[in-house]
Amino acid sequence: MGKKIVIIEDDNILQDTLKKFLSTKGYEVSGAINGEDGVELVKKENPNLLLLDIVLPKKDGFGVIKDLKADESTKNIPIVLLTNLGNLDDVQKALDLGATTYLIKADYKLEEIVQKIEETLN
Amino acid sequence: MRRIIRRIVDDFNIKKQANELGVKVWQAPSVLFILMGVVIVTAMTAIYFISRNNYSPEILIFSEIAVVAVLFTIGSFIIKSIEEVARANKMKSEFISITSHQLKTPLTEVNWEIEFLLSQHGKLLNQEQKDIIKTITNSNTKIIKLVNDLLDVVRIEQGRFILTEEKMDIVKVVEEVIEENKFLAKSSNIEIKFIKPDFVPEIIADRRRMKVVIDNFVSNAIKYIKSKGHIEISVDAKNDEIMVCVKDNGIGIPRSQHDIIFQKFFRSDNAAKYQTEGTGLGLYIAKNIIDQSGGKIWFKSVEEEGSAFYFSLPIKRNNPNNK
Repeated sequence: MGKKIVIIEDDNILQDTLKKFLSTKGYEVSGAINGEDGVELVKKENPNLLLLDIVLPKKDGFGVIKDLKADESTKNIPIVLLTNLGNLDDVQKALDLGATTYLIKADYKLEEIVQKIEETLN
Repeated sequence: MRRIIRRIVDDFNIKKQANELGVKVWQAPSVLFILMGVVIVTAMTAIYFISRNNYSPEILIFSEIAVVAVLFTIGSFIIKSIEEVARANKMKSEFISITSHQLKTPLTEVNWEIEFLLSQHGKLLNQEQKDIIKTITNSNTKIIKLVNDLLDVVRIEQGRFILTEEKMDIVKVVEEVIEENKFLAKSSNIEIKFIKPDFVPEIIADRRRMKVVIDNFVSNAIKYIKSKGHIEISVDAKNDEIMVCVKDNGIGIPRSQHDIIFQKFFRSDNAAKYQTEGTGLGLYIAKNIIDQSGGKIWFKSVEEEGSAFYFSLPIKRNNPNNK
């Protein structure tokens, strides 16, 4: 069985394309479009990795990281930030909160995202 | 001398100035300053005559008050017009910043969808169809680059241009840039040669931004070679620094413009004539990136013969930030 990935991304098209692409690479992918649902989904799925947007409705990426890091069962899940690098301060803040690494959506090809996921999983 | 005269003429060309600043003619700072000067001189003369003909201190005080009131009014207009210009400038930066961000998501969608389409159904497409899709992807990537440039310029202007630090292999970045520009170079009949060194140590820098600088050098070289040219890229490591050079046999830069090529929106006369595409932002951003990374950026160029662009970066050893 493939490794599980959860995507929290509010842009439907981006989320959908990522989900489809990652599925073809053998991952088991599920997604949420806001922070609150996202945290619930992570707790339910207990994925091997989380792809997380920073700007999100209901609860932003920072809130999601805080919630997950505070919970014993989810605190070790690696988090890859999906950002468009509006502000590097935000990325740094998220990394300080415990995110593993980040990638810039507009500059990454899907294939490169898979590489980044594999690097992070290993 | 000619420059000084031009400067003076420009200072008095009030209509042009007002147009450039986007304010009404009477709001242009020079108009208000001239007006203020006229008021001061008139007031002084008037006071002189009044005080000579009348010995009444009341009249003197009243005329002084009147003059001060007029000067305050003009002064407040000056402040207001400066404020308006500053506000407009801030709004412009915010506008660019917001629209650029809004553009990024749909542009990413296009690139990802195309990549997904190719990965799933690429085999069903013939070469012509694949080439069309490649062109669409290239154009879209060009827009993303432009949007990134605009965002960087706004950040530089606002003093919020922050670079990250990570371990990186500059040779690998050069190879990526060559790979990404291969298609464009081939279609312009340009050969890219990379003189790879035996060993180059890893450096600590902002990988994405270093790629922006190298890509800027290479895409400029491609853009400004008329046809059938060659580009030579070399990477050297010595004396605790690495140096990257991108040399072309393109149209070169006129001697008279060598001092200003790193300025924002600068495009050389011959470049603008020859190639209409280009914003004049690339080298300005590149210089900011290299300066902020503690490196040096420079060039040699002869018109009609070609240009060589260089940058060097310190190899930071035993850096406490090494990750």
